[in-house]
Amino acid sequence: MIEAVLAGAVRGGSSILFAALGETVSERAGVINLSTEGSMLTGALAAYVVAVETGNAWLGALAGAAAGATLAALHGAMVVWRGANQLATGIVVLFLALGVTALLGRDYVGVGVEGFDRWAVPGLSDIPFVGTILFNQDPLTYLALIAAPLVWLLLYRTRPGLFVRAAGERGEVLFAAGHSPRLVRFGAVTFGGLLAGIGGAQLSTALALNWSENMVAGRGFVAVALVIFAGWNPLGALVGALFFGGVESLQLQLQAQGVSVPADLLNALPYLATLTVLVVLSRKRLHAAPEGLARVFEISR
Amino acid sequence: MTPTERTAFTPMRVIRTLAALTAALTLAVAAAGCGDDETSGSTDTGAAASGEKTKVGFIYVGPKDDFGYNQAAFEGSEAAAAELGNIELLQAESVPEDAGVERVMERMISQGAKVLFPTSYGYLKYAEAVAAKHPDVVVVHQGGLESKPGAPNFGTYFGTVYEPVYLAGIAAGKATKTNKLGYIVAFPIPQTLANVNAFELGAKSVNPKATTTVVFTASWCDPGKQAQAATALISQKVDVLTQHQDCTKTIIETAERAGVSSVGYHYDASSLAPKGWLTGSEWNWGPMYTDIITTALEGKFEGSPYDGDYRVGLQTGDNPFVQSPFGPGVDDATKAEIETAKAKLADTGIFTGPLKDQSGKEVVPAGKTLTYDEVEQMNFLVEGVVGNIPK
Amino acid sequence: MTALRRLRPPDPAVLGRDLLRWGSAVVIGLAGFAFFVAAVGADPFEALSAMWRAAVVDPIGPGEVLVYAAPVILAALAVAIPARAGLWNLGGEGQITMGVVGATVASHMIPSSLDSWAALPLLAVGAAIAGAIWCGIAAVLRVSVNLNEAISSLLLSYVALRVLDYLVNGPWKDPGSLGIPQAEPLPASQQLPLLDWLPVFGGGRLHAGILVAVLALAVVLFASRRTVWGFRLRVVGGNPEAARRAGLPVKQLIITAMLAGGAIAGLAGFVQLTGVEGAAKGGIAGVYGFLGFLVSWLGRHDPVAILIGAVVVGGIAVGGDALQIDAGLPAASINILLALLLLAVLGRRGRARGAEG
Repeated sequence: MIEAVLAGAVRGGSSILFAALGETVSERAGVINLSTEGSMLTGALAAYVVAVETGNAWLGALAGAAAGATLAALHGAMVVWRGANQLATGIVVLFLALGVTALLGRDYVGVGVEGFDRWAVPGLSDIPFVGTILFNQDPLTYLALIAAPLVWLLLYRTRPGLFVRAAGERGEVLFAAGHSPRLVRFGAVTFGGLLAGIGGAQLSTALALNWSENMVAGRGFVAVALVIFAGWNPLGALVGALFFGGVESLQLQLQAQGVSVPADLLNALPYLATLTVLVVLSRKRLHAAPEGLARVFEISR
Repeated sequence: MTPTERTAFTPMRVIRTLAALTAALTLAVAAAGCGDDETSGSTDTGAAASGEKTKVGFIYVGPKDDFGYNQAAFEGSEAAAAELGNIELLQAESVPEDAGVERVMERMISQGAKVLFPTSYGYLKYAEAVAAKHPDVVVVHQGGLESKPGAPNFGTYFGTVYEPVYLAGIAAGKATKTNKLGYIVAFPIPQTLANVNAFELGAKSVNPKATTTVVFTASWCDPGKQAQAATALISQKVDVLTQHQDCTKTIIETAERAGVSSVGYHYDASSLAPKGWLTGSEWNWGPMYTDIITTALEGKFEGSPYDGDYRVGLQTGDNPFVQSPFGPGVDDATKAEIETAKAKLADTGIFTGPLKDQSGKEVVPAGKTLTYDEVEQMNFLVEGVVGNIPK
Repeated sequence: MTALRRLRPPDPAVLGRDLLRWGSAVVIGLAGFAFFVAAVGADPFEALSAMWRAAVVDPIGPGEVLVYAAPVILAALAVAIPARAGLWNLGGEGQITMGVVGATVASHMIPSSLDSWAALPLLAVGAAIAGAIWCGIAAVLRVSVNLNEAISSLLLSYVALRVLDYLVNGPWKDPGSLGIPQAEPLPASQQLPLLDWLPVFGGGRLHAGILVAVLALAVVLFASRRTVWGFRLRVVGGNPEAARRAGLPVKQLIITAMLAGGAIAGLAGFVQLTGVEGAAKGGIAGVYGFLGFLVSWLGRHDPVAILIGAVVVGGIAVGGDALQIDAGLPAASINILLALLLLAVLGRRGRARGAEG
């Protein structure tokens, strides 16, 4: 049972992981994007449509990334250049994504798709226990697991990463050095949407093999919450996404075993568990918050 | 409607819509920037002349192309309109099951609707309220039971969904090798519980060792969660999966890829699972809608069978909920058994005592058969079902 | 600077400029939408005039707009009060849901024979307490472990939805509901009266909930402009560090602001329960919390602007029915219209206030 729960954690957590990584980059640059949910949604639809039309799931994932990035760019443009409120804009952009995807996706509900198959890593998947959990997943899930350390490297070991962190901490320093903090922020938000879009692609073309209206169902909001959980660290996001995926997987597994706890309460468990861990970790985490973001949260008008 | 028809020309349409939207968005944002006052054109166009057609309103809880419950009802409405010819349909989709639906019905009435079909279970009390305010409009609710019998312009109708589900249970009971069947359900309401029980009873009638494990997802359509629920059940050695969800594709696909059998619901999805598809149940609303509209427009609604709680099943006539085609995994012997069972059901019904619930307590005594109304207030799971409902 | 301006009574000139800004943004948003409607092959003037007819001309239209606006006003106030202290309440849906739970608990505790004038306030108190508790959790977490209240209140919403689902599917399920998961209907004495005597607005389902909302609005207006508490909240919101140095009880202010916000969100649950639904059921909070958040933001947390914004949102919702029914557009058009309108408003607002770094 533990094996099944953990394998489910990885599979179910990977779309959230992509989104949380993207949101980490965005928030590191000082912009919170509540429309991460929207980027996942547009990514899920674009990936599905392109996978159906071309028969190639990889092209679909690319389209998902592009769609997620496009929506996030709208958020970025409003926030960075028009100075619109971050949280309110995020929710408005999400409403837009809900409307647009519902409209454009109508003809693709129930349509067959090739999608991503599970691909067992030769050799590694035969390792008992670990093999099933980590090495018998879909390609996008592997990509998510690899993306976490890559985003960490990007943020902490590269020049663009330095710019992103500088934009979030001390925009004026970046400005003094002759770079535009606004451009960096816009780029970070867009890149964040790109990752969230791939997360949506994993949801529609690898996990569910389906498109339906509003199918992201709150996973994007969870991803935003997990960024705090992770202390704005990509590796923490990995742990957080697996944790949320794990609790979700556990509650379904408990139901499948006939445990006598009301299903409605079990369905609330992933959110309660996330909140509890946040409480436990919170005191030390907030110090890790980027300065620019702290300003967003402190001053709300 | 086949998938190929559905996708014809859609890429072009998607591109066109996307282009339109981008343009609209650019206009909105850019105009917000340059900020000159604009005045929109006058908006006092009168109501469009509607011709001589009679208006009939349909209201759906989800998108009318969900490849499930709502699409089936939508297609039923179109079939009825095509059959009757002089009908104009007023459609409203994705209307939540709260008092807002009263507003939608009122709008349809003010637009001239003479017959209203609120097609979701949770619309019941609002439909009754609107019917009481508008005695000249016929309101027929899909799936509910009249709380106060007697309103001359109000009625409910439904099929006996659990009958084809019972028959599918027979196919599942025969197909399973592990004797474990899985049922993925949205919420524990009587309709879903009756289906789970019927499925288990059908399976048990041919395979006494068969059990049905039920998982609730707390959502009518969350494909990601459905996939996870299906995988959890499969990891518990379940080898036949079925469901009571609004969107159905994910569970069928997940089952097929895992190499286990599946039973459909709402829609014929056999093309999605060429290997594992056993059978399923689907709607054919057209004939019943046509008959209800005709009866209402001829002024014969009051006193007709629809003026009350109209249920139709094998015992009484043509069920609008019909069995989907069989898949390759169902052999001729099983098909014959299902035919026999169908004949027997027409005689005795499904929920016939003695029936015990999960705790072993007798809930239907020997010799008694639950009536349609009693089935639709079901609040127990029968012996052999693994799962938990709130008490 | 913003904080200073807030200290003055509302200036008609400022209000007028706000209205003009709103109005032109609405026109721009509508123009964008008209363009979109035309591009997908429908008649934009027919679509917009159908909305107008449904929300304004139709005899029940104006009343329905107010029915929709009432919970939006309350949900917006629930955002506005904490926002004055620099706090984000994103958990409106959860607090409204818990308001429904609290009012139902109160209803169970009092005799059903109790008269309306006594019973309804008791239910309102129950709703307000429950909403305040739910929001208070987020507040306490904020001041004790510094957990961001936007995130915690949002996560708490998901929990609240499941709690109400559990109650109406299980312990509270009405045996007489013929299987539909909802609690027993409230006795007539515990339902808000209809305002059917009212001209223009009284044609349909308009109930006294709008009066509750307007009353709450007046109280908030008074509390924020005429009390020490309101003044201190603004100081904390303007500069928490300075407030701390000046010796203000910042933690207490944060908690009281969130409790007040939660209580008002709870009242939105009370209004929906006793004015609209008459029985607790799942999904009763709809998306009123998010709409309230947007309205509060667009109105700069100003009670008068909130009133106007909520009525506009109500108009879009009621008019939106006609987009489907009269003009044959898909349901998704309403979300697109709302988003285009709000983007136009947000863009203008941001520019008007000057975009900062």
